[in-house]
This record gives sequence, C-alpha cells and structure tokens, in this order.
Amino acid sequence: MNNLESTLVVKDLQKKIRNKEIIKKISFELKQGEVFGFLGPNGAGKTTTIRMLVGLIKPTSGEISICGFNLADDFSNAIKQIGCIVENPELYPYLSGWENLQQFARMVPEINENRINEVVTQVGLQNRIHDLVKTYSLGMRQRLGIAQALLGKPKVLILDEPTNGLDPVGIREMREFIRTLAEQDQISILISSHLLSEIQLMCDRVAIISKGEIIKVDSVALLLAEQERVSWKLQPLAEGRRILSEETTIIFEKDGIIITHYDEGKLSLINERLVREGVKVSGIQTKLPTLEDLFIELTGGETID
Amino acid sequence: MKLNSVKIITFLSLVATVMWVVGLSFTINDQFFNNPPPPVEKSATISTDTTQTKDVFIVAIGDSLTRGTGDSTGKGYVQYMLNDLKSKTKQNVNLSNLAISGYTSQQLINQLKQTEMQRQIRQSDIVVMTIGANDLFQGGTTLTNFKQSNIDALEKTYLSNLKEIYGTIRKINPQTTVYHIGLYNPFIELSDAKTTSNAVRKWNFDTADLAATFEKFVFVPTFDLFQLNVNNYLAGDKFHPNSMGYQLVGDRVASLINFEKENEKNE
Amino acid sequence: MINLVHNELIKLVRKKRLYIILAIVAVLVALFTYAQMKEVKSLQERLGTTDWRSQLQQDIVNTQNRLNSSTIPDDLRKYFLIRISEQEYYLEHDVDPSAPGAPTFMRMFVENSIDLLMPLMVVVVVGDLVSSELSGGTIKMLLTRPVKRWRILMSKFLTMILSVSFIVLSLALLSYLISGAVFGYSGWTMPILTGFSTNGNVLVTTNVHLIYQWQYLLMELGLAWFVGIIVGSITLMLSVLIRSTAAVTGVMLATLISGPILANMVSSWESAKYLFMVNLRITDYISGGAPPIQGMTLGFSMIILTIWGIAALLVAFITFTRRDVY
Repeated sequence: MNNLESTLVVKDLQKKIRNKEIIKKISFELKQGEVFGFLGPNGAGKTTTIRMLVGLIKPTSGEISICGFNLADDFSNAIKQIGCIVENPELYPYLSGWENLQQFARMVPEINENRINEVVTQVGLQNRIHDLVKTYSLGMRQRLGIAQALLGKPKVLILDEPTNGLDPVGIREMREFIRTLAEQDQISILISSHLLSEIQLMCDRVAIISKGEIIKVDSVALLLAEQERVSWKLQPLAEGRRILSEETTIIFEKDGIIITHYDEGKLSLINERLVREGVKVSGIQTKLPTLEDLFIELTGGETID
Repeated sequence: MKLNSVKIITFLSLVATVMWVVGLSFTINDQFFNNPPPPVEKSATISTDTTQTKDVFIVAIGDSLTRGTGDSTGKGYVQYMLNDLKSKTKQNVNLSNLAISGYTSQQLINQLKQTEMQRQIRQSDIVVMTIGANDLFQGGTTLTNFKQSNIDALEKTYLSNLKEIYGTIRKINPQTTVYHIGLYNPFIELSDAKTTSNAVRKWNFDTADLAATFEKFVFVPTFDLFQLNVNNYLAGDKFHPNSMGYQLVGDRVASLINFEKENEKNE
Repeated sequence: MINLVHNELIKLVRKKRLYIILAIVAVLVALFTYAQMKEVKSLQERLGTTDWRSQLQQDIVNTQNRLNSSTIPDDLRKYFLIRISEQEYYLEHDVDPSAPGAPTFMRMFVENSIDLLMPLMVVVVVGDLVSSELSGGTIKMLLTRPVKRWRILMSKFLTMILSVSFIVLSLALLSYLISGAVFGYSGWTMPILTGFSTNGNVLVTTNVHLIYQWQYLLMELGLAWFVGIIVGSITLMLSVLIRSTAAVTGVMLATLISGPILANMVSSWESAKYLFMVNLRITDYISGGAPPIQGMTLGFSMIILTIWGIAALLVAFITFTRRDVY
C-alpha cells in the first residue's frame, strides 16, 4: 500500500478555541483507494477535525493538503478533490432531489446533466429523484447526500457517520457501496464513526482518536492480529490477579475476567503455578482482540457508547 | 412551470432594479444638482367651478363662536342654522366653515388674503361671521384691568379693522349677503355687570352702525338672547355658549335668511 | 456568479416567501383603498363639496384651530405651521396634491409604507437568506464547494438587491392596479410640486418646481428602493450573525418600529438623527414634510443611510468569510 499515492495529508493539525486545545497536533495520511476509519467517542474531536478538512473551520496551526493542493492557500483546487457529508446530509427540503443536485452542480464549472444522472443511478435514487426532499426517508437522504458528494468526481470522500439512522439492510448496502467506491473507483474514503463494528467491517486502516489526540493509527488487520490475548477465569480473583501480574502483563480486567498477553511458552507454566497455589482455574481462553478491547486498552478505560 | 416562475421573477426584478436606479439618480439630480428653477408662477386663472351655482353656498368665517366652541355636540350655531335652513328649502345648502378659534379682527384680515378664502367668498351666496369677542375680552384680561380709556382704544382698532373686513368681502363678492352676529355679555351675572354690559352694548351699536353703511350687511343682535338666565346658556368655561345657547343664535340667524329673495337678487 | 445568484433565486422562489409578500401587499392595498374611499366619501358628506380646494382649506382651518389650543407640543406646532404654509402654497398655485386616481394613491401608499411596511417586507424576505442556511445546516453544503466564501455572500447580496427591486415593484404595481379599480387609472401627467425645504419653521419655496406625477413617482420609488437596499443590507448582516430567522426578523421588527417612536421623541434627543431608522422617511423631503429633527435634509439622511449600509455589509462580509462553521 505504501507505493500508492497519498491523497490527503494532514500534518500537525491543531485547533484552539479560547486557548483551549480542542485538537492536539494530529497527523495522518490517506492513500488512494483506501477506506480510512476515524474512531472515537462523541466529543473526541472527530467532527471538528473533519470540518477542518473541508474548510468549514480554520485550523489554528498545521497543514492540510489534498492531492498536493494546500487547503489554506489554494482552497478552490483543494476542495474540488473532496466530496463530503458533514454530520447529517442537510439538503433543501423544499426542493426535489434533482433540484438539490442541480444547485450544487451549478457551483462547480464542469458538471453537466449527464453527470447528475450518473450519480443518481449510482446511489439508486432514479425513481424518487424528482420528489421533494422533505418526503424522503433518512436512508434516501443519506443516499442523496452521497450523490451530491460524488458529483464533482472527488478523489477523497469524507463521510461523517454514514450509517447513522439506517436500518440493518441499509447499513449493509452502504458498507458494500463504500467498498465498491474504494476498490473500483480508487477513491480514498475517510469514515468517522463511534461504532467499532462498522469501522472493523469497512475500513482498511483506522485512527483511534480520543480527547483531540490520535492514539494509534494502523491497519485494522494488523491492529487486531498484533497480539492474541488470553482471558482467565479465576477464583479467588485477588490471588489469581497477584500471580498473573507476577508472571505476565495484565492488559485489563473486565467482569471478573482478566486479560493478559499471550505467551505460548509460558501459558502452561502459569497455569501450573495457579493450580499449585490453590487458585481454581475455571476457564482459559485465547482470543483475538476486538477493536473495542483495543480501544479500552488504549484509552485506559474510556468507554465508547 | 416551476422554472418559469423563477425566470419571470428574475426578469421582473432585473427590470425593476434598472427602473429604481434610474428613479434614484433622477431624484439625486433633481434635488441636489438642479439649478434653482424659476419659482412656480401663481396660476393666473384660478378655475371657478360651476358645480355649486344651483345650490346655496354659505361661508362661515370668524372666531370660536362660529367654530362652535363650547357646544358639547360640536355643532355650534352654524350647524343649527343650517338644519333650520334645510327644513325651509328644497334647495341644496352647502356650508364651508372657515372660522378659527381665537381669531381677532386683525387675524381675520390676514386670513382673507388667502387665495382659497377669496375663492370661496366669491362663490358664496351668504356669509355668516362672528368677530370682535377676542378683540374686546382678550381672553378675560380686559375685565381684570377694566378701564374705559382702554376699551375705547380697543374698539377704535376693531372698528377700523372691521371696516377693512367688510370692504374686502364686498370687493370680492358684490352680491353676497353678510350676517354679522353681534356680541352678548357672558359676564352679565357677575359683580360689575353694569360696566361690562355698557361696553358690549356700545361695541354692538358701533358695529351695527358700520354694517349699515354697507349694502346687504345685516347685523344680528344676540345680547337680548343671553340677557336673562345667562348661566343656562353658557358652557363650562362661562364664556362660550352651550348647545342651548348656540341653538338660540342659530334659530335667530336662520329666521333672517330668506331663499326666494336671495335667488331673485342673484339672478 | 450568475449561477450562484440563479441558485439563490430558485431557493427564494421555492420558499414561497415572495408570494406571501405579494398576498400581504394585495390585502393591505385593498384595505387602504377601501379606507381611502370611505374617507373621501365622509369628507364630502361633511363638507358638502367635492371641491378639493374647499377640502384643503377646511384642512388648513382645522389645523389652525388645533394650533390655537395651548396644550399643543412645540414640535407639533412647528410641523403644523409648515404643513399649513405648504397647503396654502398648493392652493395659491391651484395644484391639487391629492387629485384622486391610482397614481396618486400609489404615491401616498409609497410615502406611507417607506418607513415600516416596505422595510418589513424586505426583512421577511432577506432575513432568512443566510440564517436559514445556518440553522438548516445547508451552509456546510455551500461552503464545501470550490467557491470562495465572499462569492457566496456576494450572491446573497445580489439576490437581496433583486428581491428589494421586486418588492418595490410589486408595491407599485399592486397599489396601482387595485386602487385603480376604484379611483381610475389616470393621473400620470398631473403636476406635482417638489423642492420644498424648511428653515426653522418657515417654509422655503425658492426651489419649488413642478414635475409630472410619473416623474415624481419614479423618484419616490427610487428612494423607496434605496431605503430597501439599506434595510436589506442591515438585515443581511443580522442574518449572518444570528442563526435563527425568527430572531433576525424580531430584532429588525423592533428596530423598525422604534423608528417612528424615536422620531417623535428626538426633538429633545438630537443625536438620534444618526440612527438609520429615524432616517427612513426620505420621501418626505421631496414632498415637503417637516423633518423629525431640525437640520435634517435629504442629503443628510441619504449619507447616514449609506454609512449604515456599508458598515453592515463590511461586518457581514468579514464575519462570513472568517467564521468557523459548526
């Protein structure tokens, strides 16, 4: 993946509001054709970062460049490469879907009716496109939102919580749609979400963001495969905890289950010692971590809703 | 359809914008950069309209008594007179009340210089007027400082003014009949009734004397109407008549006006 | 830019606010026409004459009677004196200032709506140009296009100008068409006196000249348009600053209503003449009404209004181009 071109480069991006640092010098890159996840709890700074990426908020310092164009210096050229939905797709309810798209088409020089038809077909809204937007369901609005984002043939697509409010079928469709865009059209897609499952299923790489900082950026596969864990079910718990902490590293503990690193050579030795010292081992399980585990581990117990 | 309404509104707005900008620049040019134009000439021929020739046209001029001050119904003697006249004739009687409260004879002279005053008097068949009360009583100050020499001086000015008024009216309209309603003494029940009554009587007498020197000028006395039980006929200010008082005056003036005669003479 | 303005006009038309304005104006004009008709009739009944000269003279006499009441405030007295001299001027020159006819009605309607009704219409239309995008969130869609922010606001500004033109046009047309049904459609070439000015409480007539009513109307509508643009600019600024359309409308409404109230009180507070809402009745200068404060002239008012308008636009553009959008 490293030989691919970077479409979006963010360097030392910082935002201060009244001397309070909201975004703390974050940096990351998007490669061509990849789906990049932006994971964090509400209020972590996802939306603020995204708004800076699309020029709605001016960064206090730092640089954003899109396909080589600096957003601050060459706004028009930079923003041309981006299609986005920030939070909900807010459209003019008193206009039809078609008229909404026309509105945005008129703001970019080289978009004609054919292109509008193309995106409408792409998101599958052909049947309802001439109805007023106020009669649309949330899912249809979401699709119309994506249609307007795709209108200018962007190299980078930024979607803020794209599955928000969709039903399970809709979520699956959206997921497939996003994968198709990335794989077939080689668009880089940035997806923010507070839902781990969603990111896990859709994204190639993920940045975990908490309190305005990126804690970790890695490919989802690597992140998850990095370390297998062992979960212990022990009794008495306190004694077990003591022994485990002497023998290996406890990652975290949840609902009476202690999670430790996996160490193949040592596993049986630890088990032996536990049994010898009278701790009842009712379960040992090796398992792959979920993003949720990772998140809890990385943020030190901050929960995601 | 939808697009058409946008197009129409856009087009109209554009046209309107041009129009209003032209209007605005015209205004600026007209109001700021125009050399002072020659002042507008007084229109030489003031059109005399003929719509009122068949009707009887009455013009009322003078002071608060003609205005009707003190009458709680707001009518004044002019309206009572008009009502009486209307029941007397089938002809249309029109009235223009141009009296202004507080006017003295001097102010009336000035008012008579106005174009429109003259036009209306020119068209009138009858003029009714009250004047002099403000000259004499001066809002009551004459009484508190009652001196015969003072009164004489006031009356002298009044009479010379009145002469001018009569002359002006006659000059404007040689045909019209003028009814000058005389003064009553509102202070007749006060302590020095004798002196005030004397002054008012003399005032009335000299006015009537002057009226007699003009043709078709009728002096209408009111002193006798208010001589007894004056307080029944006075308004709260103890100076102007109330409705009943005005009714008396109106009836008296109406009784003096005779239409057939008027028309004969006018024709 | 044409595309952007086209977009704005589509939104404006589809939001149907313009139609609401048209309906309101139509209803009001019909009401005023009826009221005017009644007034003319009752005046005729009272005076027994249809002659405008008698009516005008009666008006003068009535005013003079009011002037003789000692309780009349000083500034009102001044106003009456000026009005009387003006009315006498009309009589002397045999020019009827209110000869019946649709153009005359239109003229009076414009004069009477310039400080409140017309600005209100402008506020209703312009008030949500920006704030509705802010509150509806569609601003995000607008600002993430390859179009600079100032151009977006410029398109809104141009749209504001077009809608003010449209509003003034509909005021003019509707008042002409509706009142004409009652008063007749003629009277365009009637002569009107303009150029009155005041010096203290003396009416100065050296600049008075006659123009045709259609010219006079064009002048008044031009002035009304000017007032509309200024009120529109200030509304646009508020629309940028405040998210809620209702709040924008409310603030402007309160400000506009305070205008006539302040104008009544300003004889004792002279610096109020620098407020824009006291300067809105600029048609009074050309028809010859007394200014609310001595020394105010057409030029003065227009300069004050222009300053307000430019300041409002500066604030609007600076805020709009710099602000973070959440």
